[in-house]
Amino acid sequence: MTTNWTVKAIRDAVNSGSATAASIVDEALSRIEKKDGEIGAFLEVFVDDARKAAKDIDVRHAAGETNLPLAGVPIAIKDNMLVMGHVASAGSKMLADYRSAYTATAVARLQAAGAIIIGRTNMDEFAMGSSTETSAFQKTKNPLDVTKTPGGSSGGSAAAVAADMVPAALGSDTGGSVRQPASLCGIVGMKPTYGRVSRYGIVALASSLDQVSPFTKNVEDAALVLSIIEGKDPHDATSVVLDEPIGDNFSLDLSGVRVGVPKEYFIDGMDEDVAACIRSGIEKFREAGAEIVDISLPLSPYALAVYYIIQPAEASSNLSRFDGMRYGNRGEGAIEESYRSARGAGFGAETKRRIMLGTFILSAGYYDAYYKKAIAVRAALKTEFDQAFKRVDVILSPTSPVVAWDIGAKMNDPVAMYLADIFTVAANITGIPGISVPCGTAHGLPVGLQVLGRNFDDNKVLQVAAAFEALHNAS
Amino acid sequence: MDIDINRLATLAKLQLTDDEKAMLERQLPDILDYVSKLQEVDTSGVDAKAYLTDAVNVLREDVITLTREERDAVVAAFPKQVGGAMEVPGVFAE
Repeated sequence: MTTNWTVKAIRDAVNSGSATAASIVDEALSRIEKKDGEIGAFLEVFVDDARKAAKDIDVRHAAGETNLPLAGVPIAIKDNMLVMGHVASAGSKMLADYRSAYTATAVARLQAAGAIIIGRTNMDEFAMGSSTETSAFQKTKNPLDVTKTPGGSSGGSAAAVAADMVPAALGSDTGGSVRQPASLCGIVGMKPTYGRVSRYGIVALASSLDQVSPFTKNVEDAALVLSIIEGKDPHDATSVVLDEPIGDNFSLDLSGVRVGVPKEYFIDGMDEDVAACIRSGIEKFREAGAEIVDISLPLSPYALAVYYIIQPAEASSNLSRFDGMRYGNRGEGAIEESYRSARGAGFGAETKRRIMLGTFILSAGYYDAYYKKAIAVRAALKTEFDQAFKRVDVILSPTSPVVAWDIGAKMNDPVAMYLADIFTVAANITGIPGISVPCGTAHGLPVGLQVLGRNFDDNKVLQVAAAFEALHNAS
Repeated sequence: MDIDINRLATLAKLQLTDDEKAMLERQLPDILDYVSKLQEVDTSGVDAKAYLTDAVNVLREDVITLTREERDAVVAAFPKQVGGAMEVPGVFAE
Protein backbone atom coordinates (compact mmCIF):
# COMPACT_ATOMS: atom_id res chain seq x y z
CA MET A 1 0.00 0.00 0.00
CA THR A 2 1.66 3.18 -1.19
CA THR A 3 -1.46 5.35 -1.03
CA ASN A 4 -1.67 7.92 1.76
CA TRP A 5 -4.19 6.68 4.30
CA THR A 6 -6.52 9.67 3.90
CA VAL A 7 -10.02 9.96 2.46
CA LYS A 8 -9.03 12.04 -0.53
CA ALA A 9 -5.90 10.01 -1.42
CA ILE A 10 -7.81 6.72 -1.28
CA ARG A 11 -10.72 8.09 -3.27
CA ASP A 12 -8.35 9.43 -5.95
CA ALA A 13 -6.39 6.17 -6.07
CA VAL A 14 -9.54 4.11 -6.58
CA ASN A 15 -11.04 6.50 -9.12
CA SER A 16 -7.79 6.69 -11.12
CA GLY A 17 -7.43 2.93 -11.10
CA SER A 18 -4.12 2.88 -9.22
CA ALA A 19 -5.76 0.89 -6.40
CA THR A 20 -8.85 -1.29 -6.24
CA ALA A 21 -11.51 -0.88 -3.57
CA ALA A 22 -10.92 -4.54 -2.72
CA SER A 23 -7.24 -3.92 -2.00
CA ILE A 24 -8.10 -0.89 0.14
CA VAL A 25 -10.58 -2.91 2.18
CA ASP A 26 -8.04 -5.71 2.62
CA GLU A 27 -5.56 -3.13 3.86
CA ALA A 28 -8.11 -1.70 6.33
CA LEU A 29 -9.02 -5.17 7.59
CA SER A 30 -5.38 -6.07 8.09
CA ARG A 31 -4.69 -2.81 9.96
CA ILE A 32 -7.67 -3.50 12.23
CA GLU A 33 -6.53 -7.08 12.73
CA LYS A 34 -3.04 -5.91 13.66
CA LYS A 35 -3.94 -3.00 15.93
CA ASP A 36 -7.38 -3.38 17.38
CA GLY A 37 -6.56 -6.19 19.79
CA GLU A 38 -4.71 -3.62 21.85
CA ILE A 39 -6.92 -0.56 21.19
CA GLY A 40 -10.44 -2.02 21.34
CA ALA A 41 -11.98 0.55 18.98
CA PHE A 42 -14.32 -1.83 17.15
CA LEU A 43 -17.28 -3.75 18.55
CA GLU A 44 -17.74 -5.52 15.22
CA VAL A 45 -16.01 -5.50 11.86
CA PHE A 46 -18.36 -6.05 8.91
CA VAL A 47 -15.85 -8.23 7.05
CA ASP A 48 -18.16 -9.92 4.54
CA ASP A 49 -20.30 -6.87 3.75
CA ALA A 50 -17.21 -4.67 3.39
CA ARG A 51 -15.59 -7.08 0.94
CA LYS A 52 -18.84 -7.39 -1.01
CA ALA A 53 -19.30 -3.61 -1.17
CA ALA A 54 -15.68 -3.19 -2.34
CA LYS A 55 -16.16 -5.72 -5.11
CA ASP A 56 -19.27 -3.83 -6.21
CA ILE A 57 -17.32 -0.54 -6.37
CA ASP A 58 -14.62 -2.25 -8.48
CA VAL A 59 -17.22 -3.65 -10.87
CA ARG A 60 -18.76 -0.21 -11.25
CA HIS A 61 -15.30 1.29 -11.81
CA ALA A 62 -14.64 -1.24 -14.60
CA ALA A 63 -17.97 -0.26 -16.15
CA GLY A 64 -16.83 3.35 -16.33
CA GLU A 65 -18.00 4.81 -13.02
CA THR A 66 -14.77 6.56 -12.10
CA ASN A 67 -16.05 9.63 -10.31
CA LEU A 68 -17.56 8.45 -7.00
CA PRO A 69 -16.80 11.07 -4.33
CA LEU A 70 -15.81 8.47 -1.71
CA ALA A 71 -14.87 5.54 -3.96
CA GLY A 72 -13.55 2.68 -1.86
CA VAL A 73 -12.99 4.75 1.28
CA PRO A 74 -13.31 2.56 4.40
CA ILE A 75 -15.32 4.38 7.07
CA ALA A 76 -16.14 3.21 10.59
CA ILE A 77 -19.40 4.21 12.27
CA LYS A 78 -20.36 4.68 15.89
CA ASP A 79 -22.44 1.87 17.34
CA ASN A 80 -25.54 4.13 17.58
CA MET A 81 -25.96 4.33 13.80
CA LEU A 82 -28.24 1.91 12.01
CA VAL A 83 -27.11 -0.22 9.09
CA MET A 84 -29.88 -2.50 7.91
CA GLY A 85 -29.36 -6.09 9.02
CA HIS A 86 -26.48 -5.26 11.35
CA VAL A 87 -26.47 -4.99 15.13
CA ALA A 88 -26.58 -1.43 16.49
CA SER A 89 -26.28 -1.65 20.26
CA ALA A 90 -25.49 1.96 21.27
CA GLY A 91 -22.93 0.48 23.66
CA SER A 92 -25.75 -0.98 25.76
CA LYS A 93 -26.73 -4.43 26.94
CA MET A 94 -30.28 -3.24 26.26
CA LEU A 95 -29.65 -3.41 22.49
CA ALA A 96 -26.88 -6.04 22.45
CA ASP A 97 -28.75 -8.18 19.91
CA TYR A 98 -30.82 -5.51 18.18
CA ARG A 99 -30.62 -5.71 14.38
CA SER A 100 -31.43 -2.56 12.43
CA ALA A 101 -34.54 -2.59 10.29
CA TYR A 102 -33.28 0.25 8.09
CA THR A 103 -30.15 2.30 7.41
CA ALA A 104 -29.41 5.76 8.86
CA THR A 105 -29.53 8.54 6.26
CA ALA A 106 -25.92 9.65 6.92
CA VAL A 107 -24.71 6.07 6.47
CA ALA A 108 -26.81 5.51 3.34
CA ARG A 109 -25.35 8.67 1.83
CA LEU A 110 -21.81 7.44 2.53
CA GLN A 111 -22.62 4.14 0.85
CA ALA A 112 -24.16 5.87 -2.17
CA ALA A 113 -20.95 7.92 -2.52
CA GLY A 114 -18.89 4.73 -2.74
CA ALA A 115 -17.66 4.51 0.86
CA ILE A 116 -17.29 1.11 2.51
CA ILE A 117 -18.81 0.77 5.99
CA ILE A 118 -16.12 -1.26 7.69
CA GLY A 119 -17.62 -1.81 11.12
CA ARG A 120 -19.16 -0.33 14.25
CA THR A 121 -17.14 1.29 17.01
CA ASN A 122 -17.27 1.35 20.78
CA MET A 123 -19.00 4.19 22.61
CA ASP A 124 -20.25 5.22 26.01
CA GLU A 125 -23.64 3.62 26.65
CA PHE A 126 -26.25 5.60 24.68
CA ALA A 127 -23.47 8.20 24.21
CA MET A 128 -23.56 9.16 27.90
CA GLY A 129 -19.99 9.66 28.99
CA SER A 130 -16.75 11.43 28.14
CA SER A 131 -14.32 8.50 28.12
CA THR A 132 -16.06 5.57 26.35
CA GLU A 133 -15.81 3.68 29.65
CA THR A 134 -19.56 3.40 30.23
CA SER A 135 -19.80 1.00 27.25
CA ALA A 136 -21.37 -2.28 28.36
CA PHE A 137 -18.89 -4.20 26.22
CA GLN A 138 -15.26 -3.10 26.40
CA LYS A 139 -12.76 -0.39 27.18
CA THR A 140 -11.18 1.55 24.33
CA LYS A 141 -7.63 2.79 24.70
CA ASN A 142 -6.02 5.95 23.40
CA PRO A 143 -3.72 4.88 20.54
CA LEU A 144 -1.16 7.52 21.56
CA ASP A 145 -0.87 6.11 25.09
CA VAL A 146 -2.80 2.95 25.89
CA THR A 147 -2.99 3.75 29.60
CA LYS A 148 -5.16 6.77 28.73
CA THR A 149 -8.77 7.16 27.67
CA PRO A 150 -9.51 8.18 24.07
CA GLY A 151 -12.21 10.52 25.39
CA GLY A 152 -15.83 10.02 24.55
CA SER A 153 -18.51 9.30 23.93
CA SER A 154 -17.40 8.49 20.35
CA GLY A 155 -14.05 7.14 21.61
CA GLY A 156 -14.04 4.03 19.40
CA SER A 157 -14.42 6.06 16.21
CA ALA A 158 -11.73 8.52 17.36
CA ALA A 159 -9.30 5.73 18.23
CA ALA A 160 -9.92 3.90 14.93
CA VAL A 161 -8.90 7.03 12.99
CA ALA A 162 -6.05 8.03 15.32
CA ALA A 163 -4.54 4.52 15.02
CA ASP A 164 -4.81 4.76 11.20
CA MET A 165 -7.12 1.76 11.01
CA VAL A 166 -9.54 3.83 8.92
CA PRO A 167 -9.10 7.26 7.31
CA ALA A 168 -12.48 8.47 8.58
CA ALA A 169 -15.23 7.57 11.02
CA LEU A 170 -18.59 8.94 12.03
CA GLY A 171 -19.47 9.87 15.58
CA SER A 172 -22.33 11.78 17.12
CA ASP A 173 -21.75 14.99 19.04
CA THR A 174 -24.35 15.91 21.68
CA GLY A 175 -22.15 17.87 24.08
CA GLY A 176 -18.69 17.39 22.60
CA SER A 177 -18.68 13.65 21.95
CA VAL A 178 -16.74 14.08 18.68
CA ARG A 179 -14.68 17.22 19.27
CA GLN A 180 -13.43 16.11 22.71
CA PRO A 181 -12.17 12.63 21.67
CA ALA A 182 -10.69 14.19 18.50
CA SER A 183 -8.75 16.55 20.77
CA LEU A 184 -7.61 13.77 23.12
CA CYS A 185 -6.55 11.55 20.20
CA GLY A 186 -4.84 14.26 18.14
CA ILE A 187 -7.14 14.22 15.11
CA VAL A 188 -9.83 16.40 13.49
CA GLY A 189 -13.47 16.23 14.64
CA MET A 190 -16.15 18.53 13.24
CA LYS A 191 -19.63 19.10 14.67
CA PRO A 192 -21.66 20.77 11.95
CA THR A 193 -24.46 23.25 12.60
CA TYR A 194 -27.54 21.60 14.10
CA GLY A 195 -29.79 20.65 11.18
CA ARG A 196 -27.02 20.30 8.60
CA VAL A 197 -26.95 16.49 8.87
CA SER A 198 -29.96 14.20 9.26
CA ARG A 199 -30.35 12.39 12.56
CA TYR A 200 -32.56 9.71 11.02
CA GLY A 201 -31.36 6.26 12.06
CA ILE A 202 -29.18 7.50 14.92
CA VAL A 203 -30.18 6.19 18.36
CA ALA A 204 -31.45 9.43 19.91
CA LEU A 205 -29.78 10.76 23.04
CA ALA A 206 -30.89 14.40 23.26
CA SER A 207 -32.76 15.31 20.10
CA SER A 208 -32.28 19.08 20.25
CA LEU A 209 -28.49 18.64 20.67
CA ASP A 210 -27.43 15.52 18.70
CA GLN A 211 -25.56 15.97 15.43
CA VAL A 212 -23.72 13.38 13.30
CA SER A 213 -20.10 14.45 12.98
CA PRO A 214 -17.01 13.13 11.16
CA PHE A 215 -13.53 12.25 12.47
CA THR A 216 -10.63 12.49 10.00
CA LYS A 217 -6.88 13.05 9.91
CA ASN A 218 -7.15 16.48 8.29
CA VAL A 219 -9.64 19.30 7.73
CA GLU A 220 -10.03 18.73 4.00
CA ASP A 221 -11.17 15.14 4.62
CA ALA A 222 -13.65 16.32 7.24
CA ALA A 223 -15.15 18.70 4.69
CA LEU A 224 -15.27 15.96 2.09
CA VAL A 225 -17.16 13.55 4.35
CA LEU A 226 -19.46 16.30 5.56
CA SER A 227 -20.28 17.36 2.01
CA ILE A 228 -21.63 13.85 1.40
CA ILE A 229 -23.70 13.32 4.55
CA GLU A 230 -25.20 16.83 4.81
CA GLY A 231 -28.53 18.08 3.54
CA LYS A 232 -32.26 17.99 3.96
CA ASP A 233 -33.81 14.62 4.73
CA PRO A 234 -37.58 14.16 4.74
CA HIS A 235 -37.11 11.66 7.58
CA ASP A 236 -35.69 14.31 9.94
CA ALA A 237 -37.91 17.36 10.31
CA THR A 238 -35.08 19.32 11.95
CA SER A 239 -32.75 18.88 8.96
CA VAL A 240 -32.72 21.91 6.71
CA VAL A 241 -32.43 22.81 3.04
CA LEU A 242 -28.94 24.28 2.87
CA ASP A 243 -28.23 27.65 1.28
CA GLU A 244 -24.51 27.00 1.54
CA PRO A 245 -23.42 23.40 1.09
CA ILE A 246 -19.91 22.47 2.21
CA GLY A 247 -17.50 23.72 -0.43
CA ASP A 248 -14.04 22.60 -1.46
CA ASN A 249 -12.21 25.90 -1.47
CA PHE A 250 -9.87 26.14 1.51
CA SER A 251 -7.47 28.80 0.33
CA LEU A 252 -8.25 31.37 2.99
CA ASP A 253 -5.96 34.28 3.74
CA LEU A 254 -6.13 34.76 7.50
CA SER A 255 -5.30 38.45 7.23
CA GLY A 256 -8.52 40.31 7.70
CA VAL A 257 -10.20 37.43 9.53
CA ARG A 258 -11.54 38.57 12.90
CA VAL A 259 -10.81 35.96 15.52
CA GLY A 260 -12.56 36.20 18.88
CA VAL A 261 -10.88 34.91 22.04
CA PRO A 262 -13.36 34.75 24.93
CA LYS A 263 -11.76 35.30 28.31
CA GLU A 264 -14.23 32.90 29.95
CA TYR A 265 -12.65 30.00 28.05
CA PHE A 266 -9.35 30.37 29.87
CA ILE A 267 -10.59 29.46 33.28
CA ASP A 268 -8.99 29.17 36.68
CA GLY A 269 -7.92 25.65 37.40
CA MET A 270 -7.54 24.62 33.80
CA ASP A 271 -4.34 22.82 32.90
CA GLU A 272 -1.70 25.52 32.42
CA ASP A 273 0.19 23.60 29.76
CA VAL A 274 -3.02 23.17 27.74
CA ALA A 275 -3.74 26.91 28.05
CA ALA A 276 -0.18 27.74 26.97
CA CYS A 277 -0.47 25.46 23.95
CA ILE A 278 -3.72 27.14 22.87
CA ARG A 279 -2.23 30.61 23.41
CA SER A 280 0.69 29.73 21.14
CA GLY A 281 -1.85 28.56 18.57
CA ILE A 282 -3.65 31.90 18.78
CA GLU A 283 -0.27 33.60 18.33
CA LYS A 284 0.06 31.80 14.97
CA PHE A 285 -3.20 33.43 13.88
CA ARG A 286 -1.82 36.83 14.87
CA GLU A 287 1.41 36.23 12.96
CA ALA A 288 -0.60 35.25 9.89
CA GLY A 289 -2.35 38.60 9.99
CA ALA A 290 -5.63 37.70 11.66
CA GLU A 291 -7.18 40.34 13.87
CA ILE A 292 -7.34 38.95 17.42
CA VAL A 293 -10.32 40.37 19.30
CA ASP A 294 -10.71 39.91 23.05
CA ILE A 295 -14.34 39.15 23.68
CA SER A 296 -16.49 38.22 26.62
CA LEU A 297 -19.26 35.61 26.76
CA PRO A 298 -20.41 36.15 30.34
CA LEU A 299 -22.92 33.29 30.34
CA SER A 300 -20.27 30.72 29.42
CA PRO A 301 -19.79 29.53 33.02
CA TYR A 302 -23.45 28.43 32.95
CA ALA A 303 -23.33 26.46 29.69
CA LEU A 304 -22.40 23.16 31.31
CA ALA A 305 -25.22 23.46 33.86
CA VAL A 306 -27.69 24.16 31.02
CA TYR A 307 -26.37 21.09 29.26
CA TYR A 308 -26.65 18.78 32.27
CA ILE A 309 -30.31 19.75 32.63
CA ILE A 310 -31.47 19.66 29.00
CA GLN A 311 -29.47 16.58 28.07
CA PRO A 312 -30.74 14.27 30.87
CA ALA A 313 -34.27 15.66 30.45
CA GLU A 314 -34.34 14.79 26.74
CA ALA A 315 -32.46 11.53 27.31
CA SER A 316 -34.89 10.31 29.95
CA SER A 317 -37.73 10.96 27.48
CA ASN A 318 -35.95 9.39 24.49
CA LEU A 319 -34.91 6.31 26.46
CA SER A 320 -38.45 5.62 27.65
CA ARG A 321 -38.89 3.66 24.40
CA PHE A 322 -36.53 1.00 25.75
CA ASP A 323 -39.04 -0.92 27.82
CA GLY A 324 -38.47 -4.49 26.64
CA MET A 325 -41.52 -4.43 24.35
CA ARG A 326 -40.10 -3.56 20.91
CA TYR A 327 -36.39 -4.00 21.54
CA GLY A 328 -34.05 -5.92 23.78
CA ASN A 329 -35.09 -8.50 26.33
CA ARG A 330 -38.60 -8.79 27.73
CA GLY A 331 -38.78 -8.23 31.50
CA GLU A 332 -40.52 -10.52 33.97
CA GLY A 333 -44.03 -10.21 35.32
CA ALA A 334 -47.09 -8.04 34.64
CA ILE A 335 -46.68 -5.00 32.48
CA GLU A 336 -45.40 -2.36 34.95
CA GLU A 337 -43.09 -4.87 36.58
CA SER A 338 -41.96 -6.01 33.14
CA TYR A 339 -40.95 -2.47 32.17
CA ARG A 340 -39.03 -1.97 35.40
CA SER A 341 -37.15 -5.24 35.26
CA ALA A 342 -36.24 -4.92 31.56
CA ARG A 343 -34.90 -1.40 32.13
CA GLY A 344 -33.18 -2.31 35.40
CA ALA A 345 -31.36 -5.21 33.74
CA GLY A 346 -30.63 -3.50 30.40
CA PHE A 347 -29.25 -0.09 31.43
CA GLY A 348 -25.85 0.56 33.00
CA ALA A 349 -25.01 2.88 35.89
CA GLU A 350 -24.46 6.14 33.96
CA THR A 351 -27.62 5.67 31.91
CA LYS A 352 -29.64 5.03 35.06
CA ARG A 353 -28.08 8.09 36.68
CA ARG A 354 -29.11 10.34 33.80
CA ILE A 355 -32.59 8.85 33.46
CA MET A 356 -33.14 9.48 37.17
CA LEU A 357 -31.72 12.99 36.87
CA GLY A 358 -33.87 13.77 33.82
CA THR A 359 -36.96 12.33 35.49
CA PHE A 360 -36.34 14.50 38.53
CA ILE A 361 -35.82 17.61 36.40
CA LEU A 362 -39.06 17.04 34.50
CA SER A 363 -41.12 16.05 37.55
CA ALA A 364 -43.94 18.18 38.94
CA GLY A 365 -42.60 20.88 41.25
CA TYR A 366 -39.11 20.94 39.70
CA TYR A 367 -39.82 21.43 35.99
CA ASP A 368 -39.93 25.24 36.18
CA ALA A 369 -36.89 25.59 38.42
CA TYR A 370 -34.68 23.32 36.30
CA TYR A 371 -35.91 22.64 32.78
CA LYS A 372 -37.65 25.95 32.05
CA LYS A 373 -34.78 27.85 33.59
CA ALA A 374 -32.29 25.91 31.47
CA ILE A 375 -34.05 26.59 28.17
CA ALA A 376 -34.27 30.28 29.09
CA VAL A 377 -30.51 30.45 29.77
CA ARG A 378 -29.99 28.50 26.56
CA ALA A 379 -31.85 31.17 24.58
CA ALA A 380 -29.87 33.92 26.35
CA LEU A 381 -26.63 32.11 25.57
CA LYS A 382 -27.62 31.94 21.90
CA THR A 383 -28.25 35.69 21.87
CA GLU A 384 -24.86 36.25 23.49
CA PHE A 385 -23.10 34.24 20.75
CA ASP A 386 -25.11 36.04 18.03
CA GLN A 387 -23.92 39.38 19.45
CA ALA A 388 -20.29 38.19 19.58
CA PHE A 389 -20.45 37.02 15.96
CA LYS A 390 -21.32 40.55 14.88
CA ARG A 391 -17.80 41.54 15.97
CA VAL A 392 -15.85 38.43 14.96
CA ASP A 393 -15.92 35.77 12.24
CA VAL A 394 -14.89 32.83 14.41
CA ILE A 395 -14.22 32.15 18.08
CA LEU A 396 -11.21 30.18 19.33
CA SER A 397 -10.94 28.17 22.52
CA PRO A 398 -9.42 24.99 23.87
CA THR A 399 -11.52 21.94 22.97
CA SER A 400 -10.88 20.28 26.32
CA PRO A 401 -9.52 21.76 29.56
CA VAL A 402 -7.23 18.73 29.98
CA VAL A 403 -5.31 16.16 27.92
CA ALA A 404 -6.26 12.46 27.91
CA TRP A 405 -6.46 11.12 31.46
CA ASP A 406 -5.80 7.67 32.93
CA ILE A 407 -8.42 5.05 32.21
CA GLY A 408 -10.65 4.73 35.28
CA ALA A 409 -9.58 8.03 36.86
CA LYS A 410 -12.94 9.82 36.74
CA MET A 411 -15.36 6.92 36.80
CA ASN A 412 -16.53 7.43 40.39
CA ASP A 413 -16.97 11.18 40.23
CA PRO A 414 -19.73 12.16 37.77
CA VAL A 415 -19.27 15.90 38.19
CA ALA A 416 -15.52 15.64 37.41
CA MET A 417 -16.35 13.60 34.30
CA TYR A 418 -19.01 16.12 33.23
CA LEU A 419 -16.48 18.97 33.49
CA ALA A 420 -14.56 17.42 30.56
CA ASP A 421 -17.29 18.86 28.31
CA ILE A 422 -17.07 22.40 29.65
CA PHE A 423 -15.77 24.03 26.44
CA THR A 424 -17.72 21.96 23.92
CA VAL A 425 -21.34 22.05 25.18
CA ALA A 426 -22.05 25.66 24.17
CA ALA A 427 -21.94 24.73 20.46
CA ASN A 428 -24.61 22.07 21.00
CA ILE A 429 -26.77 24.30 23.18
CA THR A 430 -26.68 27.12 20.63
CA GLY A 431 -26.54 24.88 17.53
CA ILE A 432 -23.42 26.52 16.06
CA PRO A 433 -20.68 24.60 14.20
CA GLY A 434 -17.41 23.71 15.90
CA ILE A 435 -14.28 21.84 14.94
CA SER A 436 -11.32 20.53 16.93
CA VAL A 437 -7.94 20.62 15.16
CA PRO A 438 -4.58 19.45 16.55
CA CYS A 439 -2.68 22.37 18.10
CA GLY A 440 0.35 20.71 19.68
CA THR A 441 0.96 18.78 22.87
CA ALA A 442 0.93 19.22 26.62
CA HIS A 443 2.39 16.58 28.98
CA GLY A 444 3.31 14.68 25.80
CA LEU A 445 -0.34 14.28 24.77
CA PRO A 446 -2.34 16.06 22.07
CA VAL A 447 -4.19 19.32 22.59
CA GLY A 448 -7.06 20.37 20.33
CA LEU A 449 -7.93 23.92 19.31
CA GLN A 450 -11.65 24.55 18.92
CA VAL A 451 -12.92 26.87 16.19
CA LEU A 452 -16.55 27.96 16.55
CA GLY A 453 -18.54 29.80 13.90
CA ARG A 454 -21.88 31.33 13.07
CA ASN A 455 -24.92 29.16 12.45
CA PHE A 456 -24.55 27.45 9.05
CA ASP A 457 -21.22 29.19 8.47
CA ASP A 458 -19.55 25.76 8.58
CA ASN A 459 -17.47 26.63 5.53
CA LYS A 460 -15.78 29.51 7.36
CA VAL A 461 -15.06 27.23 10.33
CA LEU A 462 -13.49 24.66 7.99
CA GLN A 463 -11.50 27.30 6.11
CA VAL A 464 -10.10 28.85 9.28
CA ALA A 465 -9.29 25.39 10.68
CA ALA A 466 -7.57 24.41 7.42
CA ALA A 467 -5.52 27.61 7.44
CA PHE A 468 -4.46 26.94 11.03
CA GLU A 469 -3.67 23.31 10.21
CA ALA A 470 -1.33 24.48 7.43
CA LEU A 471 0.42 26.91 9.81
CA HIS A 472 0.70 24.25 12.49
CA ASN A 473 2.08 21.63 10.10
CA ALA A 474 4.63 24.13 8.77
CA SER A 475 5.94 25.05 12.23
CA MET B 1 -31.67 18.61 48.76
CA ASP B 2 -34.13 15.83 49.64
CA ILE B 3 -34.69 13.36 46.84
CA ASP B 4 -37.15 10.49 47.11
CA ILE B 5 -35.23 7.89 45.10
CA ASN B 6 -38.01 5.29 45.27
CA ARG B 7 -40.61 7.68 43.92
CA LEU B 8 -38.26 8.79 41.12
CA ALA B 9 -37.49 5.17 40.23
CA THR B 10 -41.25 4.51 39.98
CA LEU B 11 -41.70 7.51 37.68
CA ALA B 12 -38.72 6.39 35.57
CA LYS B 13 -39.95 2.76 35.55
CA LEU B 14 -36.53 1.65 36.64
CA GLN B 15 -35.72 -1.25 38.91
CA LEU B 16 -32.73 -0.37 41.08
CA THR B 17 -30.70 -2.44 43.52
CA ASP B 18 -30.11 -1.14 47.04
CA ASP B 19 -26.52 -0.35 46.11
CA GLU B 20 -27.64 1.66 43.09
CA LYS B 21 -30.14 3.57 45.22
CA ALA B 22 -27.48 4.38 47.80
CA MET B 23 -25.13 5.62 45.09
CA LEU B 24 -27.81 7.78 43.45
CA GLU B 25 -28.80 9.21 46.83
CA ARG B 26 -25.20 10.36 47.15
CA GLN B 27 -24.58 11.52 43.58
CA LEU B 28 -27.81 13.18 42.43
CA PRO B 29 -27.60 15.99 45.02
CA ASP B 30 -24.02 16.73 43.89
CA ILE B 31 -25.12 17.06 40.28
CA LEU B 32 -28.24 19.08 41.14
CA ASP B 33 -26.13 21.32 43.33
CA TYR B 34 -23.86 22.00 40.34
CA VAL B 35 -26.68 22.74 37.89
CA SER B 36 -28.56 24.89 40.43
CA LYS B 37 -26.14 27.72 39.75
CA LEU B 38 -28.45 28.66 36.87
CA GLN B 39 -30.69 30.30 39.47
CA GLU B 40 -28.12 33.14 39.55
CA VAL B 41 -28.96 34.09 35.95
CA ASP B 42 -31.66 36.68 35.36
CA THR B 43 -33.83 35.32 32.56
CA SER B 44 -36.83 37.63 32.91
CA GLY B 45 -37.96 38.64 29.44
CA VAL B 46 -36.23 35.73 27.68
CA ASP B 47 -38.44 33.90 25.19
CA ALA B 48 -37.54 30.26 25.79
CA LYS B 49 -38.30 27.37 23.46
CA ALA B 50 -37.24 23.73 23.61
CA TYR B 51 -35.75 24.09 20.10
CA LEU B 52 -33.81 27.04 18.75
CA THR B 53 -34.60 26.44 15.08
CA ASP B 54 -37.05 28.55 13.13
CA ALA B 55 -38.78 25.45 11.81
CA VAL B 56 -42.56 25.38 12.01
CA ASN B 57 -44.75 22.29 11.76
CA VAL B 58 -43.38 19.89 9.18
CA LEU B 59 -46.13 17.73 7.78
CA ARG B 60 -46.21 14.70 5.51
CA GLU B 61 -48.87 12.54 3.92
CA ASP B 62 -50.11 9.79 6.24
CA VAL B 63 -49.11 6.90 4.01
CA ILE B 64 -47.13 3.79 4.77
CA THR B 65 -43.73 3.89 3.10
CA LEU B 66 -42.21 0.91 4.91
CA THR B 67 -41.08 -1.87 2.59
CA ARG B 68 -42.02 -5.47 3.32
CA GLU B 69 -38.37 -6.17 4.12
CA GLU B 70 -38.22 -3.30 6.63
CA ARG B 71 -41.50 -4.34 8.21
CA ASP B 72 -40.27 -7.90 8.67
CA ALA B 73 -37.04 -6.62 10.19
CA VAL B 74 -38.96 -4.46 12.68
CA VAL B 75 -41.08 -7.43 13.72
CA ALA B 76 -38.01 -9.69 13.95
CA ALA B 77 -36.52 -7.34 16.55
CA PHE B 78 -39.53 -7.72 18.91
CA PRO B 79 -38.64 -9.78 21.98
CA LYS B 80 -41.99 -11.60 21.63
CA GLN B 81 -44.33 -11.83 18.68
CA VAL B 82 -47.38 -13.75 17.53
CA GLY B 83 -48.21 -14.04 13.86
CA GLY B 84 -46.24 -10.95 12.84
CA ALA B 85 -47.59 -8.76 15.65
CA MET B 86 -45.94 -7.69 18.90
CA GLU B 87 -47.04 -9.68 21.94
CA VAL B 88 -47.26 -7.72 25.17
CA PRO B 89 -48.33 -8.51 28.73
CA GLY B 90 -51.96 -7.70 29.56
CA VAL B 91 -52.36 -3.94 29.82
CA PHE B 92 -55.60 -4.03 31.80
CA ALA B 93 -54.59 -6.81 34.21
CA GLU B 94 -55.83 -6.19 37.79
